[in-house]
Amino acid sequence: MASNNTASRRLFLQTTCGTFSAAWLALHWGEVVAAARNAHQAAQSPAALPVSFLTQTEAAIVEAVAAQIIPSDSTPGAREAGVVYFIDRALATFFAHMAQHFRSQLSAFHRDCRRRYPEVESFPNLPSDRQIEWLRTIEHTPFFQSMQRLTVLGMFTMPAYGGNRDGLGWQLMGFVDQHVFEPPFGYYDRDYPGFVVEPPLSK
Amino acid sequence: MSARHFRDSERVDFAVVGSGAAGGVMARELAQAGFSVVLFEQGPRLSPAEFEHDELKYWYLGGISNDSLKNPQTFRSDPAQKAEWVEGKPPLWYARTLGGTSVHFTANYWRFHEIDFNERSRLGSIPGTGFEDWPISYAELEPYYSKVEWEIGVSGLASASPFEPPRTRPYPMPPLPVKSSGVLFERGARKLGLHPFPAPMAINSQAYRGRPACVHCGFCHGFACEVMAKSSTLFSMIPEAEATGRCETRVDSYVVRIETDQRGRATGVAYFDRNRGEHFQKAQAVIVCANGAETPRLLLMSANARFPQGLANSSGLLGKYLMFNYTSRASGVFEHELNEFKSVQVTRILHDFYDSDPKRGFYGGGGLDARIGPQPTMWAQRLAMEGPSWGSAYKARLAEFARSMAVTGHGTSLPLQTNSISLDPVVKDAWGMPAMRVTYKDHPDDLANARFLQDRAVEILEAAGALRVTRTPVTEQTSSMHLLGTCRMGNDPGQSVIDRYHRCHDIRNLFLCDGSSLVTSGRGQPTMTIQALAFRAAEHIAVSAHRGEV
Repeated sequence: MASNNTASRRLFLQTTCGTFSAAWLALHWGEVVAAARNAHQAAQSPAALPVSFLTQTEAAIVEAVAAQIIPSDSTPGAREAGVVYFIDRALATFFAHMAQHFRSQLSAFHRDCRRRYPEVESFPNLPSDRQIEWLRTIEHTPFFQSMQRLTVLGMFTMPAYGGNRDGLGWQLMGFVDQHVFEPPFGYYDRDYPGFVVEPPLSK
Repeated sequence: MSARHFRDSERVDFAVVGSGAAGGVMARELAQAGFSVVLFEQGPRLSPAEFEHDELKYWYLGGISNDSLKNPQTFRSDPAQKAEWVEGKPPLWYARTLGGTSVHFTANYWRFHEIDFNERSRLGSIPGTGFEDWPISYAELEPYYSKVEWEIGVSGLASASPFEPPRTRPYPMPPLPVKSSGVLFERGARKLGLHPFPAPMAINSQAYRGRPACVHCGFCHGFACEVMAKSSTLFSMIPEAEATGRCETRVDSYVVRIETDQRGRATGVAYFDRNRGEHFQKAQAVIVCANGAETPRLLLMSANARFPQGLANSSGLLGKYLMFNYTSRASGVFEHELNEFKSVQVTRILHDFYDSDPKRGFYGGGGLDARIGPQPTMWAQRLAMEGPSWGSAYKARLAEFARSMAVTGHGTSLPLQTNSISLDPVVKDAWGMPAMRVTYKDHPDDLANARFLQDRAVEILEAAGALRVTRTPVTEQTSSMHLLGTCRMGNDPGQSVIDRYHRCHDIRNLFLCDGSSLVTSGRGQPTMTIQALAFRAAEHIAVSAHRGEV
């Protein structure tokens, strides 16, 4: 990752050199460099955070549900991306206004799950196929919808917020976090011959 | 920073409320014409170095836009219902920063066509709607479209579309480099006998007017441009206004009332500064460019004993005829990578279905374009609305991001009196002012047109060789970024709010210019037209002011 970032930053600086007017650069060079540096520092900040809002039991449930929303198979999923840490931090800070509501939904989920599966302590102790079976029955509830949204946010927003560890979410999608790109951008524009203006319509 | 500073007690020539697409043009034109101007902006002034590729902040945490906690909005689809506060992203979404929504827009810059201005005469009336001709024609606006292209900065290829309305000048910059979505769109459309062409975008394809070319970072839609290649008024018009030495941009200043005197003339604007201190700026004339939602709200909040229903509301139409445009969409997955997260949103469009055709059985028309839409997080959320939202099937679709594109249809919205901006009787904003209440329900023809355009989008994707095509369900809209029609322009004071030069019929020294001025919705990309209107209005306002007729 580090070498990629260095390379992309170098490309950013090189390309901007080529396209900016000299006067503009002289005035704004510091800002341009700072913007690039901030973005890369943010991308490299440590993601693993101790839970601060969720209890250990709650965090284990949240992590297990997130891991069913974006499962780990041949590629990393929500668990490896540290989505639970994003959710914990979100509820402690920028989504604090919905934290108590989320907690009560979570505790209802926990209670219902134990009623349905009295043989286990908590949702994370269920085998995966039982987890999926149970989640299918509650996938339209506000709790699950909140979990779906929070999992997506934790998987794909900037790693600085605690999830998307090492850019794992972006890797899953094939998204490249870089400030500057040049054509060709993809497979289909590689050999584009140029736009041909067609003759006017006969009306 | 803004060099000039005016005292509140100093009567400036113009107070311009709102610094976005229209306000920035207005301030620059009037300052260059020799007038003193204070340009008011609710939000802060940000520098390019502060703009980040941060989806959470910009799309979910307010970022540079209005947010549902400080700037609450209520929504209902039926005027008989009680409107409810909407949590999360507000129904009507706009940037709240110097440069306004031109800072975070996608920068699609289509001109309207001749038909947009005289469609009522061409097609006849549509019962139950306010479908009307504009009091101006395309020909009258054409010089100002050219002005937008050259003075704001638009990249494109003239005469590339056989449906293009007449133009007097080519584009000042060539089109941006085509993306894979553009190539596939072009391929599919041509197979179907359609006429795709390079998208006109208000983004520099090469260095222009002291600003650099696009670096293809991909974060246009909902984000601000950190290299200033996007031709936002923040980078184009506002610095030129300030350079005259006659324009002060007053940021973090929330205008909440326009005051009028005994004679019914506007005397200036009352506003909160960043510390909630209340001020009153005196002005010879007031120009409101606060967007199609905030402009009528401000006039409604300015109601007084002389104008109890709000300023400029003798017609009773202030805030009515709200129009959104409808964006319908189909998505396609292809064999190889497109990497649509790179570069500008749109590189190819077509206007074959622009005109309404009575044979279709409904009113409406539109344009189609190739794009991806949002960046990863929003895209993941959209997928969840279109198919499985969790589990391995969902994950497999997430992994298709780099091989996906969308074709979107941008269509008409009919003007309905029941669709409106009004003041919520209960909910207040963080300053104690009445919250914006939005009432909106798509006309059945708008939905039929959206489905028609979506069908065309599916055909194009299939013709382009998509492995799989999915449709975003066409349902009634409850949110928009296109805020149009709420202070409509017209010759009849009983049927409109402003005249053909944007002067309020009721108050001679009060002008309104932004999306609210539109009589009909166009086909989905209104900013170009809003700015052409602003250039035209500013010219007339300057002439009137020089003659002492304001």
